[in-house]
Amino acid sequence: MRKLARDLDFINKIQEISQQNIRDCYQCGRCTAGCPFAEFMDEPPNRIIRYIQLGLKDDVLKAQGPWFCAACLVCETRCPRGVDIPRIMEAVRTIHLRAKEQVIDIDRIDKELLKDAHPLVLMSALNKYSY
Amino acid sequence: MKVSYYPGCDLYTKAKVLNDSIKASFKVADFDLKELTNWYCCGTTFTLARDNKMSLIAPLRILAKAQKENGLLLVPCSICYNTLKRANYIFRNDQETLGIINEHLGENYDGNVEIVHPFEFIRENQDKFKSGIKRSLGEMKLGCYYGCYLLRPKDEIGFDDPEAPTIMEDFIKLMGGIPVNFPLKVECCGSYLIINSLEAALQMVYKILKNARENGAEALITSCPVCHYNLDNFQDKIVKMHPEHKPIPIFYFSQIMAIAYDLPTEVWGLGYNKVSPETLLKEHRIL
Repeated sequence: MRKLARDLDFINKIQEISQQNIRDCYQCGRCTAGCPFAEFMDEPPNRIIRYIQLGLKDDVLKAQGPWFCAACLVCETRCPRGVDIPRIMEAVRTIHLRAKEQVIDIDRIDKELLKDAHPLVLMSALNKYSY
Repeated sequence: MKVSYYPGCDLYTKAKVLNDSIKASFKVADFDLKELTNWYCCGTTFTLARDNKMSLIAPLRILAKAQKENGLLLVPCSICYNTLKRANYIFRNDQETLGIINEHLGENYDGNVEIVHPFEFIRENQDKFKSGIKRSLGEMKLGCYYGCYLLRPKDEIGFDDPEAPTIMEDFIKLMGGIPVNFPLKVECCGSYLIINSLEAALQMVYKILKNARENGAEALITSCPVCHYNLDNFQDKIVKMHPEHKPIPIFYFSQIMAIAYDLPTEVWGLGYNKVSPETLLKEHRIL
């Protein structure tokens, strides 16, 4: 059995950025059930939250799930505990971006898409994916 | 009557048709949209990191300008509406943050500007908007696609029921049209995922369009430039992936107003729609 290394600083950092109490979540899974992009995520929203509750920093930071969150807020609307899950997903992305790890490279965006890309969509993507 | 108006960047570029048709249609109902002087970009998608105050600077500058006008700001773009309304919620409920941003900018915003979406404005002034109708929309069945930004988060936006809204259906009825309800009207179109995860976004777009068709919609209406782009722009790709898909036109709600008010066809701006609505409009003897 794997020994859990509980990183309390990491839990606090996520709570500070998101202003959410991570222990409010009781793992009912409604966020993941309603998430339109959960099927594309290696780790869906409820598991990301569980890892944070356990302080499993490495598991959270290697997950690709948060990058598939479109901040559509369906999970926030349906959470019976009032947890603002998109703020927690953004906190995970923010930790990456503040460490200068970005997932978008404007030179690698599909040229055809970029030529006609909607400025609002492009700006939003750069907001969420780059530092 | 003059109404302060914030178009946002997109209404001068990709969504120019929204700008033109809303201004002309509101004029018919006797509302003169007066653009806020020297407005700025709202910052696009709202930043969710609570310790990031930078993203509140642009909204406060806009709201401080609106405060000097008449305290009500009409915002048709769903993203601008969401961003400004969420920032305003913070300014109203977090005096410390409001103070920091005001001091940084040398402004004196008090949190009292009301951000209003055209659907809310039309709901409050139904008689005026109804009186301008000159042309029947026939039997054309219009699906009302809300997307995310108009509905969520419910406590901060308070626009309508976030799971079963009806304000857009009421708007279509007011314009003399036939609204179509479909379950995926409140689902996300993929938004900015289209840039980095095209496959995920297009799967969602396909699901939404298919669901609308299955429920009888012949076209969709939206007020969100991002939803419009995602739903309208990639249907040729969707046909390649799903050959049975029959392209469905996506209108801005204000194009429907321009049609119902019988404004000149230039104002309808049909050239902006990538999936041409012309055949559909001819079928219903509108064109």
